[in-house]
Amino acid sequence: MNEELDSQLSAMFDNELPAAECELLARRLSRDADLKARWGRYAVIGAVIRAERGVALDGTMAGRVSAALSSEPALSIDTAPASRRSRASSWWQPLSGAGLAAGVAVVSILWLRSQALPGGSPVAAPVMVATRTATFGSPSAQGALQAASATTTPDSFVVPPIQQRPMMVVPATELADYVVAHSAFSWPVSRGNLLSSLMVSEPGTSSTPAESDQRAPRVQGNATQNPK
Amino acid sequence: MSADASDLSLVRRVQRGDKGAFDVLVLKYQHKLVKLVMRYVRNPAEAEDIAQEAFIKAYRALPQFRGESAFYTWLYRIAINTAKNAVVSRDRSPIEYNVDRGSTDNEESYDMQGRMKDSETPEGLVLTDEIRSTVNAAIDALPEDLRTAIVLRELEGLSYEEIAAAMACPVGTVRSRIFRAREAIDRRLREVFEGGLGRTEELG
Repeated sequence: MNEELDSQLSAMFDNELPAAECELLARRLSRDADLKARWGRYAVIGAVIRAERGVALDGTMAGRVSAALSSEPALSIDTAPASRRSRASSWWQPLSGAGLAAGVAVVSILWLRSQALPGGSPVAAPVMVATRTATFGSPSAQGALQAASATTTPDSFVVPPIQQRPMMVVPATELADYVVAHSAFSWPVSRGNLLSSLMVSEPGTSSTPAESDQRAPRVQGNATQNPK
Repeated sequence: MSADASDLSLVRRVQRGDKGAFDVLVLKYQHKLVKLVMRYVRNPAEAEDIAQEAFIKAYRALPQFRGESAFYTWLYRIAINTAKNAVVSRDRSPIEYNVDRGSTDNEESYDMQGRMKDSETPEGLVLTDEIRSTVNAAIDALPEDLRTAIVLRELEGLSYEEIAAAMACPVGTVRSRIFRAREAIDRRLREVFEGGLGRTEELG
Protein backbone atom coordinates (compact mmCIF):
# COMPACT_ATOMS: atom_id res chain seq x y z
CA MET A 1 0.00 0.00 0.00
CA ASN A 2 1.55 3.28 -1.03
CA GLU A 3 2.12 6.12 1.36
CA GLU A 4 0.11 8.67 -0.60
CA LEU A 5 -2.96 6.46 -0.47
CA ASP A 6 -2.55 5.99 3.29
CA SER A 7 -2.15 9.71 3.74
CA GLN A 8 -5.34 10.29 1.79
CA LEU A 9 -7.11 7.68 3.89
CA SER A 10 -6.02 9.41 7.09
CA ALA A 11 -7.20 12.79 5.80
CA MET A 12 -10.49 11.33 4.63
CA PHE A 13 -11.04 9.79 8.03
CA ASP A 14 -10.75 13.30 9.50
CA ASN A 15 -13.07 14.80 6.87
CA GLU A 16 -10.13 16.84 5.60
CA LEU A 17 -9.85 15.43 2.10
CA PRO A 18 -11.20 17.40 -0.90
CA ALA A 19 -14.54 16.12 -2.15
CA ALA A 20 -13.22 15.03 -5.53
CA GLU A 21 -10.57 12.82 -3.90
CA CYS A 22 -13.17 11.50 -1.45
CA GLU A 23 -15.26 10.17 -4.31
CA LEU A 24 -12.40 8.15 -5.71
CA LEU A 25 -11.19 6.88 -2.37
CA ALA A 26 -14.69 5.99 -1.16
CA ARG A 27 -15.10 3.71 -4.13
CA ARG A 28 -11.85 1.91 -3.38
CA LEU A 29 -12.47 1.89 0.35
CA SER A 30 -15.79 0.12 0.07
CA ARG A 31 -14.21 -2.71 -1.94
CA ASP A 32 -10.71 -3.08 -0.53
CA ALA A 33 -10.73 -5.26 2.60
CA ASP A 34 -7.23 -4.22 3.70
CA LEU A 35 -8.04 -0.56 3.34
CA LYS A 36 -11.29 -1.06 5.21
CA ALA A 37 -9.50 -2.87 8.04
CA ARG A 38 -7.01 -0.03 8.30
CA TRP A 39 -9.88 2.45 8.40
CA GLY A 40 -11.43 0.44 11.24
CA ARG A 41 -8.15 0.54 13.17
CA TYR A 42 -7.98 4.32 12.74
CA ALA A 43 -11.38 4.44 14.46
CA VAL A 44 -10.07 2.22 17.26
CA ILE A 45 -7.08 4.51 17.78
CA GLY A 46 -9.42 7.47 18.16
CA ALA A 47 -11.62 5.59 20.62
CA VAL A 48 -8.63 4.71 22.79
CA ILE A 49 -7.29 8.28 22.76
CA ARG A 50 -10.71 9.55 23.80
CA ALA A 51 -10.72 6.91 26.56
CA GLU A 52 -14.18 5.70 25.65
CA ARG A 53 -14.75 3.41 28.60
CA GLY A 54 -17.15 0.54 28.24
CA VAL A 55 -16.89 0.59 24.46
CA ALA A 56 -15.78 -2.68 22.96
CA LEU A 57 -12.92 -2.23 20.53
CA ASP A 58 -12.86 -5.66 18.94
CA GLY A 59 -15.01 -4.68 15.98
CA THR A 60 -17.75 -7.25 16.57
CA MET A 61 -20.56 -4.74 16.30
CA ALA A 62 -19.55 -3.70 12.80
CA GLY A 63 -19.60 -7.36 11.83
CA ARG A 64 -23.04 -7.85 13.37
CA VAL A 65 -24.47 -4.82 11.56
CA SER A 66 -23.01 -6.05 8.30
CA ALA A 67 -24.50 -9.51 8.86
CA ALA A 68 -27.91 -8.06 9.74
CA LEU A 69 -27.90 -5.95 6.59
CA SER A 70 -26.82 -8.81 4.36
CA SER A 71 -30.45 -9.85 4.01
CA GLU A 72 -31.54 -6.30 3.27
CA PRO A 73 -31.94 -5.30 -0.36
CA ALA A 74 -29.32 -2.90 -1.65
CA LEU A 75 -30.54 0.66 -1.98
CA SER A 76 -31.00 1.98 -5.48
CA ILE A 77 -31.43 5.69 -5.09
CA ASP A 78 -30.09 7.60 -8.06
CA THR A 79 -28.90 10.82 -6.51
CA ALA A 80 -28.44 12.63 -9.82
CA PRO A 81 -32.15 12.68 -10.71
CA ALA A 82 -32.83 13.84 -7.18
CA SER A 83 -30.68 16.90 -7.75
CA ARG A 84 -32.31 17.42 -11.12
CA ARG A 85 -35.69 17.15 -9.45
CA SER A 86 -34.71 19.78 -6.96
CA ARG A 87 -33.60 22.03 -9.79
CA ALA A 88 -36.82 21.38 -11.68
CA SER A 89 -38.94 22.06 -8.67
CA SER A 90 -37.20 25.36 -8.10
CA TRP A 91 -37.80 26.88 -11.57
CA TRP A 92 -40.96 28.56 -10.39
CA GLN A 93 -39.26 30.29 -7.52
CA PRO A 94 -38.14 33.35 -9.56
CA LEU A 95 -41.64 33.57 -11.06
CA SER A 96 -43.24 33.43 -7.67
CA GLY A 97 -40.89 36.18 -6.56
CA ALA A 98 -41.94 38.33 -9.52
CA GLY A 99 -45.59 37.59 -8.80
CA LEU A 100 -45.13 38.59 -5.20
CA ALA A 101 -43.44 41.82 -6.26
CA ALA A 102 -46.29 42.58 -8.69
CA GLY A 103 -48.83 41.91 -5.95
CA VAL A 104 -47.04 44.27 -3.60
CA ALA A 105 -46.94 46.91 -6.34
CA VAL A 106 -50.70 46.61 -6.98
CA VAL A 107 -51.47 46.84 -3.27
CA SER A 108 -49.19 49.88 -3.01
CA ILE A 109 -50.93 51.61 -5.92
CA LEU A 110 -54.34 50.93 -4.41
CA TRP A 111 -53.21 52.28 -1.10
CA LEU A 112 -51.70 55.40 -2.62
CA ARG A 113 -54.82 56.02 -4.66
CA SER A 114 -57.03 55.69 -1.64
CA GLN A 115 -54.77 58.15 0.19
CA ALA A 116 -54.66 60.65 -2.70
CA LEU A 117 -58.38 60.83 -3.53
CA PRO A 118 -60.62 62.97 -1.35
CA GLY A 119 -62.69 60.72 0.79
CA GLY A 120 -60.74 57.81 -0.52
CA SER A 121 -63.32 57.13 -3.23
CA PRO A 122 -61.99 55.47 -6.34
CA VAL A 123 -62.79 56.72 -9.86
CA ALA A 124 -64.12 54.40 -12.49
CA ALA A 125 -62.37 54.16 -15.84
CA PRO A 126 -65.61 54.12 -17.86
CA VAL A 127 -66.64 57.32 -16.12
CA MET A 128 -63.33 58.93 -17.06
CA VAL A 129 -63.70 58.01 -20.69
CA ALA A 130 -67.12 59.55 -20.71
CA THR A 131 -65.83 62.64 -18.94
CA ARG A 132 -63.06 63.26 -21.45
CA THR A 133 -65.48 62.77 -24.28
CA ALA A 134 -67.82 65.26 -22.74
CA THR A 135 -65.07 67.78 -22.30
CA PHE A 136 -63.89 67.75 -25.88
CA GLY A 137 -66.91 66.27 -27.59
CA SER A 138 -70.57 67.06 -28.05
CA PRO A 139 -72.79 68.34 -25.24
CA SER A 140 -74.92 65.26 -25.56
CA ALA A 141 -72.06 63.28 -24.13
CA GLN A 142 -72.40 65.20 -20.90
CA GLY A 143 -75.80 63.70 -20.45
CA ALA A 144 -74.32 60.29 -20.91
CA LEU A 145 -71.62 61.18 -18.40
CA GLN A 146 -74.12 62.29 -15.82
CA ALA A 147 -76.13 59.13 -16.34
CA ALA A 148 -73.02 57.00 -16.07
CA SER A 149 -71.88 58.85 -12.95
CA ALA A 150 -75.18 58.26 -11.34
CA THR A 151 -75.47 54.57 -12.13
CA THR A 152 -72.02 53.13 -12.66
CA THR A 153 -70.12 51.64 -9.76
CA PRO A 154 -66.46 52.62 -9.86
CA ASP A 155 -64.27 49.67 -10.76
CA SER A 156 -60.96 51.18 -11.78
CA PHE A 157 -58.52 53.30 -9.83
CA VAL A 158 -55.97 54.33 -12.40
CA VAL A 159 -57.14 57.62 -13.97
CA PRO A 160 -57.43 60.68 -11.74
CA PRO A 161 -60.74 62.59 -11.60
CA ILE A 162 -61.32 65.09 -14.38
CA GLN A 163 -61.91 67.97 -11.98
CA GLN A 164 -58.27 67.90 -11.00
CA ARG A 165 -56.90 68.07 -14.54
CA PRO A 166 -54.82 71.24 -15.06
CA MET A 167 -56.04 71.36 -18.66
CA MET A 168 -59.29 72.93 -17.52
CA VAL A 169 -57.47 75.81 -15.87
CA VAL A 170 -56.49 77.37 -19.24
CA PRO A 171 -59.35 79.43 -20.70
CA ALA A 172 -60.41 78.14 -24.12
CA THR A 173 -60.51 81.58 -25.68
CA GLU A 174 -56.92 82.41 -24.77
CA LEU A 175 -55.82 79.03 -26.01
CA ALA A 176 -57.72 79.55 -29.24
CA ASP A 177 -56.08 82.92 -29.79
CA TYR A 178 -52.70 81.37 -29.21
CA VAL A 179 -53.34 78.55 -31.63
CA VAL A 180 -54.69 80.90 -34.30
CA ALA A 181 -51.74 83.20 -33.94
CA HIS A 182 -49.33 80.32 -34.48
CA SER A 183 -51.38 78.37 -36.99
CA ALA A 184 -49.17 79.38 -39.81
CA PHE A 185 -46.27 77.48 -38.23
CA SER A 186 -48.12 74.34 -37.11
CA TRP A 187 -48.60 71.07 -38.92
CA PRO A 188 -51.99 71.19 -40.68
CA VAL A 189 -53.35 67.85 -39.41
CA SER A 190 -52.70 68.54 -35.75
CA ARG A 191 -53.81 72.12 -36.20
CA GLY A 192 -57.16 71.01 -37.58
CA ASN A 193 -57.72 68.56 -34.74
CA LEU A 194 -56.81 71.09 -32.10
CA LEU A 195 -58.96 73.83 -33.58
CA SER A 196 -61.97 71.57 -33.94
CA SER A 197 -61.58 70.59 -30.30
CA LEU A 198 -61.44 74.24 -29.27
CA MET A 199 -64.51 75.11 -31.25
CA VAL A 200 -66.67 72.60 -29.39
CA SER A 201 -65.25 73.35 -25.94
CA GLU A 202 -67.80 73.85 -23.25
CA PRO A 203 -69.26 77.36 -23.11
CA GLY A 204 -68.50 77.90 -19.45
CA THR A 205 -64.79 78.11 -20.13
CA SER A 206 -65.11 81.08 -22.52
CA SER A 207 -65.02 84.65 -21.32
CA THR A 208 -68.55 85.29 -22.57
CA PRO A 209 -70.95 83.35 -24.78
CA ALA A 210 -70.84 86.19 -27.31
CA GLU A 211 -67.07 86.07 -27.55
CA SER A 212 -67.20 82.37 -27.98
CA ASP A 213 -69.73 82.66 -30.79
CA GLN A 214 -67.72 85.37 -32.52
CA ARG A 215 -64.41 83.61 -32.38
CA ALA A 216 -65.56 80.25 -33.45
CA PRO A 217 -66.31 81.12 -37.12
CA ARG A 218 -63.01 83.01 -37.32
CA VAL A 219 -61.11 80.03 -36.12
CA GLN A 220 -62.94 77.73 -38.41
CA GLY A 221 -62.29 80.15 -41.24
CA ASN A 222 -58.57 80.09 -40.54
CA ALA A 223 -58.63 76.37 -40.39
CA THR A 224 -60.30 76.03 -43.72
CA GLN A 225 -57.91 78.51 -45.27
CA ASN A 226 -55.02 76.24 -44.45
CA PRO A 227 -56.09 72.74 -45.36
CA LYS A 228 -52.56 71.43 -45.19
CA MET B 1 -13.69 21.82 1.25
CA SER B 2 -16.88 20.48 2.71
CA ALA B 3 -16.52 19.29 6.29
CA ASP B 4 -18.77 16.35 5.52
CA ALA B 5 -17.41 15.45 2.08
CA SER B 6 -15.95 12.18 3.28
CA ASP B 7 -19.14 10.91 4.85
CA LEU B 8 -21.26 12.26 2.03
CA SER B 9 -19.25 10.44 -0.62
CA LEU B 10 -19.76 7.20 1.29
CA VAL B 11 -23.47 7.91 1.84
CA ARG B 12 -23.97 8.51 -1.88
CA ARG B 13 -22.34 5.18 -2.61
CA VAL B 14 -24.67 3.41 -0.17
CA GLN B 15 -27.66 5.13 -1.74
CA ARG B 16 -26.56 3.80 -5.12
CA GLY B 17 -26.50 0.25 -3.77
CA ASP B 18 -22.94 -0.12 -2.40
CA LYS B 19 -23.40 -1.85 0.94
CA GLY B 20 -19.66 -1.96 1.49
CA ALA B 21 -19.64 1.80 1.85
CA PHE B 22 -22.06 1.49 4.76
CA ASP B 23 -19.63 -0.89 6.49
CA VAL B 24 -17.07 1.90 6.28
CA LEU B 25 -19.45 4.31 7.98
CA VAL B 26 -20.23 1.78 10.70
CA LEU B 27 -16.54 1.21 11.34
CA LYS B 28 -15.99 4.93 11.69
CA TYR B 29 -18.88 5.73 13.99
CA GLN B 30 -19.52 2.55 15.99
CA HIS B 31 -17.51 3.59 19.03
CA LYS B 32 -18.90 7.12 19.11
CA LEU B 33 -22.43 5.83 18.78
CA VAL B 34 -22.03 3.32 21.61
CA LYS B 35 -20.59 6.02 23.82
CA LEU B 36 -23.52 8.27 22.98
CA VAL B 37 -26.09 5.57 23.73
CA MET B 38 -24.40 4.84 27.05
CA ARG B 39 -25.74 8.18 28.27
CA TYR B 40 -29.15 6.52 28.23
CA VAL B 41 -28.43 2.91 29.19
CA ARG B 42 -25.83 1.75 31.67
CA ASN B 43 -25.07 -1.64 30.26
CA PRO B 44 -22.41 -1.58 27.49
CA ALA B 45 -23.83 -4.70 25.89
CA GLU B 46 -27.28 -3.12 25.78
CA ALA B 47 -25.76 0.06 24.41
CA GLU B 48 -24.15 -1.96 21.64
CA ASP B 49 -27.48 -3.55 20.80
CA ILE B 50 -29.15 -0.16 20.62
CA ALA B 51 -26.32 1.26 18.52
CA GLN B 52 -26.60 -1.70 16.19
CA GLU B 53 -30.33 -1.14 15.88
CA ALA B 54 -29.68 2.54 15.17
CA PHE B 55 -27.28 1.66 12.36
CA ILE B 56 -29.85 -0.66 10.80
CA LYS B 57 -32.53 2.01 11.07
CA ALA B 58 -30.15 4.52 9.52
CA TYR B 59 -29.45 2.20 6.60
CA ARG B 60 -33.16 1.76 5.97
CA ALA B 61 -33.72 5.52 6.22
CA LEU B 62 -30.80 6.48 3.99
CA PRO B 63 -32.99 6.92 0.89
CA GLN B 64 -34.57 9.85 2.73
CA PHE B 65 -31.22 11.39 3.68
CA ARG B 66 -30.68 14.44 1.44
CA GLY B 67 -27.43 15.69 2.90
CA GLU B 68 -29.03 18.83 4.30
CA SER B 69 -27.33 18.14 7.62
CA ALA B 70 -24.09 16.35 8.39
CA PHE B 71 -24.39 12.58 8.26
CA TYR B 72 -23.15 12.08 11.81
CA THR B 73 -25.70 14.62 13.10
CA TRP B 74 -28.44 12.67 11.37
CA LEU B 75 -27.06 9.38 12.61
CA TYR B 76 -26.77 10.64 16.20
CA ARG B 77 -30.38 11.78 16.11
CA ILE B 78 -31.48 8.30 15.10
CA ALA B 79 -29.36 6.76 17.84
CA ILE B 80 -30.73 9.09 20.51
CA ASN B 81 -34.32 8.36 19.48
CA THR B 82 -33.62 4.65 19.45
CA ALA B 83 -32.05 4.84 22.89
CA LYS B 84 -34.94 6.86 24.31
CA ASN B 85 -37.45 4.40 22.92
CA ALA B 86 -35.47 1.53 24.41
CA VAL B 87 -35.37 3.23 27.79
CA VAL B 88 -39.11 3.87 27.72
CA SER B 89 -39.94 0.35 26.63
CA ARG B 90 -37.77 -1.13 29.35
CA ASP B 91 -38.97 1.39 31.91
CA ARG B 92 -35.58 2.79 32.63
CA SER B 93 -34.61 6.36 33.13
CA PRO B 94 -31.43 8.04 31.92
CA ILE B 95 -31.21 9.70 35.33
CA GLU B 96 -30.60 6.34 36.91
CA TYR B 97 -27.32 6.17 35.08
CA ASN B 98 -26.04 9.37 36.65
CA VAL B 99 -27.21 8.47 40.16
CA ASP B 100 -25.54 5.08 40.11
CA ARG B 101 -22.44 6.40 38.51
CA GLY B 102 -22.07 9.11 41.12
CA SER B 103 -19.12 11.01 39.74
CA THR B 104 -17.54 11.20 36.35
CA ASP B 105 -14.16 10.92 38.02
CA ASN B 106 -14.82 7.32 38.86
CA GLU B 107 -14.36 6.07 35.34
CA GLU B 108 -12.57 2.87 36.23
CA SER B 109 -15.10 1.63 38.77
CA TYR B 110 -17.88 2.38 36.29
CA ASP B 111 -16.04 0.42 33.65
CA MET B 112 -15.78 -2.57 35.95
CA GLN B 113 -19.43 -2.29 36.92
CA GLY B 114 -20.34 -2.30 33.26
CA ARG B 115 -18.17 -5.29 32.65
CA MET B 116 -19.93 -7.32 35.29
CA LYS B 117 -23.14 -6.90 33.34
CA ASP B 118 -21.48 -7.28 30.02
CA SER B 119 -22.54 -10.22 27.96
CA GLU B 120 -19.47 -10.11 25.76
CA THR B 121 -17.15 -13.02 25.49
CA PRO B 122 -13.99 -13.16 27.61
CA GLU B 123 -11.98 -13.10 24.40
CA GLY B 124 -13.57 -9.83 23.45
CA LEU B 125 -12.74 -8.29 26.79
CA VAL B 126 -9.16 -9.48 26.59
CA LEU B 127 -8.81 -8.12 23.10
CA THR B 128 -10.24 -4.74 24.11
CA ASP B 129 -7.74 -4.53 26.99
CA GLU B 130 -4.89 -5.51 24.74
CA ILE B 131 -5.87 -2.99 22.10
CA ARG B 132 -6.10 -0.24 24.66
CA SER B 133 -2.73 -0.94 26.20
CA THR B 134 -1.08 -1.32 22.80
CA VAL B 135 -2.42 1.98 21.52
CA ASN B 136 -1.49 3.82 24.69
CA ALA B 137 2.03 2.42 24.57
CA ALA B 138 2.36 3.39 20.92
CA ILE B 139 1.18 6.93 21.64
CA ASP B 140 3.69 7.26 24.46
CA ALA B 141 6.44 6.21 22.07
CA LEU B 142 5.54 8.85 19.47
CA PRO B 143 7.72 11.92 18.92
CA GLU B 144 6.27 14.97 20.63
CA ASP B 145 5.05 16.73 17.47
CA LEU B 146 3.26 13.62 16.19
CA ARG B 147 1.67 12.91 19.58
CA THR B 148 0.48 16.49 19.94
CA ALA B 149 -1.04 16.49 16.46
CA ILE B 150 -2.94 13.21 16.87
CA VAL B 151 -4.16 14.08 20.36
CA LEU B 152 -5.38 17.52 19.28
CA ARG B 153 -7.23 15.87 16.45
CA GLU B 154 -8.76 12.88 18.22
CA LEU B 155 -9.17 14.15 21.76
CA GLU B 156 -9.94 17.82 21.16
CA GLY B 157 -11.57 17.37 17.78
CA LEU B 158 -9.67 20.27 16.20
CA SER B 159 -9.56 20.69 12.45
CA TYR B 160 -6.26 20.57 10.58
CA GLU B 161 -6.35 24.34 10.23
CA GLU B 162 -6.84 24.83 13.95
CA ILE B 163 -4.05 22.40 14.74
CA ALA B 164 -1.79 24.20 12.28
CA ALA B 165 -2.47 27.46 14.09
CA ALA B 166 -1.87 25.85 17.47
CA MET B 167 1.38 24.21 16.40
CA ALA B 168 2.52 27.10 14.20
CA CYS B 169 3.06 24.97 11.12
CA PRO B 170 1.43 24.56 7.68
CA VAL B 171 -1.75 22.53 7.28
CA GLY B 172 0.13 20.07 5.08
CA THR B 173 2.54 19.39 7.91
CA VAL B 174 -0.37 18.70 10.25
CA ARG B 175 -1.84 16.25 7.78
CA SER B 176 1.53 14.51 7.48
CA ARG B 177 2.07 14.38 11.24
CA ILE B 178 -1.34 12.91 11.94
CA PHE B 179 -0.89 10.36 9.19
CA ARG B 180 2.55 9.33 10.47
CA ALA B 181 1.24 9.09 14.02
CA ARG B 182 -1.56 6.82 12.89
CA GLU B 183 0.82 4.71 10.87
CA ALA B 184 3.15 4.26 13.83
CA ILE B 185 0.28 3.24 16.12
CA ASP B 186 -1.33 1.07 13.46
CA ARG B 187 1.85 -0.96 12.94
CA ARG B 188 1.59 -2.18 16.52
CA LEU B 189 -2.16 -2.45 16.47
CA ARG B 190 -2.17 -4.61 13.36
CA GLU B 191 -0.11 -7.20 15.18
CA VAL B 192 -2.79 -7.42 17.85
CA PHE B 193 -5.60 -7.82 15.36
CA GLU B 194 -3.67 -10.29 13.24
CA GLY B 195 -2.74 -12.26 16.32
CA GLY B 196 -5.85 -14.38 15.97
CA LEU B 197 -8.58 -12.14 17.38
CA GLY B 198 -8.96 -9.60 14.61
CA ARG B 199 -12.62 -9.56 13.66
CA THR B 200 -12.71 -6.76 11.21
CA GLU B 201 -11.82 -9.34 8.61
CA GLU B 202 -15.43 -10.43 8.82
CA LEU B 203 -16.30 -7.28 6.93
CA GLY B 204 -13.93 -7.92 4.08
